[in-house]
Amino acid sequence: MRSGAFRFLGNPVFWLVLAAAATMPLWLSPYYLGVATIALFYVGLALSWNIVAGIAGQLSLGHSVFMGIGGLLSSALLLKLGINMWLGMAIAAAISAVLGAFIAWLDFRFRLSHLSFALITLAFAEMGQLAAVGSEFLGGASGLFLPADHGSLLDFEFGGQRGYFYLLFTASMVCLVANLVILNTPLGYYLRAMRDNENAAQAIGVALLRNKIIAMMISAVLTSIMGTAYARYSGFVDPYQFASPNVSVEVVLFATIGGLGTVLGPLVGAGFLVVFGEIVRGQFGGTLPGLHFFIDGVLIIVVILLMPRGVVPTFVEWWDRRHAAAPKDPGMIAEVPTKT
Amino acid sequence: MDDILVQALIQGLLIGATYGFIALGLGIIYSVSGVINFSHGDFVTLGMFLCYSLWSALALDPYVSILITLPVFIVIGAALYRYLIQPIVGVHMLMIIQLTLGVSFILQNGLLMIFGGQPLRTPSAFEAKLLFVTDSVILRLTLVVAFVVSLVLACVLYWMLNRTDFGRSVRAIHQNPRAAALMGINVVAVRTITFAAGFGILAIAAGVLLPGTPAHPGMGLRYTVITLMVIILGGMTNFFGIILGGFLIGVSEAIGTVYVSGITGMMMPYAIFVLVLLFRPQGILRRAS
Repeated sequence: MRSGAFRFLGNPVFWLVLAAAATMPLWLSPYYLGVATIALFYVGLALSWNIVAGIAGQLSLGHSVFMGIGGLLSSALLLKLGINMWLGMAIAAAISAVLGAFIAWLDFRFRLSHLSFALITLAFAEMGQLAAVGSEFLGGASGLFLPADHGSLLDFEFGGQRGYFYLLFTASMVCLVANLVILNTPLGYYLRAMRDNENAAQAIGVALLRNKIIAMMISAVLTSIMGTAYARYSGFVDPYQFASPNVSVEVVLFATIGGLGTVLGPLVGAGFLVVFGEIVRGQFGGTLPGLHFFIDGVLIIVVILLMPRGVVPTFVEWWDRRHAAAPKDPGMIAEVPTKT
Repeated sequence: MDDILVQALIQGLLIGATYGFIALGLGIIYSVSGVINFSHGDFVTLGMFLCYSLWSALALDPYVSILITLPVFIVIGAALYRYLIQPIVGVHMLMIIQLTLGVSFILQNGLLMIFGGQPLRTPSAFEAKLLFVTDSVILRLTLVVAFVVSLVLACVLYWMLNRTDFGRSVRAIHQNPRAAALMGINVVAVRTITFAAGFGILAIAAGVLLPGTPAHPGMGLRYTVITLMVIILGGMTNFFGIILGGFLIGVSEAIGTVYVSGITGMMMPYAIFVLVLLFRPQGILRRAS
């Protein structure tokens, strides 16, 4: 079990895919490179959400708040106060971490059930969007335009499509590594024990509050950083794009379809569905807006009814059964929620 | 008291009754099956768009359209439970949340594809009528109708839960589904009927809320969040708690919009919600029904 991450990292297929992904700017057309960049953004979001929802079993619907802080606050700091965006990113991440710790404390203090936690974080998400729309400083309903990109790295400018591809590529790989590390350190075991049976975990000495806060803070910081990176890439931020609770719901759907609690699930789910969604949007966006989300909604219902653990774990299990001789890869099909 | 406050209070109470009524539908579903429907608000939107279609095709008044949308919603509610939710009940709570979020996405974007993103208004017989309580306190008649319908139906629901055999079986399942099954209650049937009833409530609420409200495909999530806040404030299954929670959210929304400028005022119900939650996590009324 402990070797899971190392086997994952030692797998040549993983490195091949990674290398192929890293060379994308060399052979993809600018349009598809843009699609790949957006896909990487959602992969990062899904993976950082997975730390709280998949590994620790707390279905947060409030992650749009962290993304909003990362995107809107860092942009506002740059435009209104002239604070360097690297520093802005750090400030936004710190505020997200504090807010995440507060939400985790609420969860612990009131012993919220899964359901109440989801409800309350959803209320936070809605509140966050309203606060952003109402705040003059954050650009209000009309949003903020970031200054033109001159490719100066020190000002958090990455000079065009390729630079941003690598920025989001690196950021999402950081989220991937964070997942792998957590899954294979004591923290991951504590979190999974808490997810499967909170009372039993507490009884054997797992510090609930401490671990909940750590998991939520890591997840909040990563989400916030993804928000800042994407804000600089898109060059325009507004609350409907960055702080909408719908973003949280999208991430939930992507990660769940792929397979919650695993590393590959959210990665494959978000990566595949965003690319698919962007292509559908490119084809039908004018006549049937929202078709790709409609398809996502249908997909999640089908996945939950037919393969409740998600597509990736189900596929890996099927593959293992076909090649019974091949050993299982615990890094790929790590624990999946079973019963409460 | 000055007139603006009175106006805000009355308006809040009127809209709050409808919020409470919608939340009751969610509450009884939760009390018998432990399921929270995260697409609740999107079904309100669906009901509104059905009424809009009936108006644009047949020129029906939204109040009349309820006669058509009500049976449709009852069937949808029963089918949703039987074919989508029942197969996964008892597997994991999170799955039900994710599944209903998926349903919410389907409704929201399905409506967007059919009707487009423009807010649509549906005219009604009472739309422009105003009631003058005093010289400066003015109410829209449509809100009064929504209030009366919601309260009357809430009373009917209360009577049904307490005085009929069906209501007794609902309460029995709420207390202990297993024992209820042993007493010969068909648990699955009762759960299906409560789902159907909860959705029937939505059809009625959508019809009475529609006059004067522009309908937009994306507004469902807001209704869902308001409804969820109401039932949490009400203590999840407490009948009077939920009605009171509806009034509290409605009044705080109205007062927030009047006294605190713009968007910040719209945050008022959420702020009240978080405060109540911090100081009275068990809901505003302690006793469970």
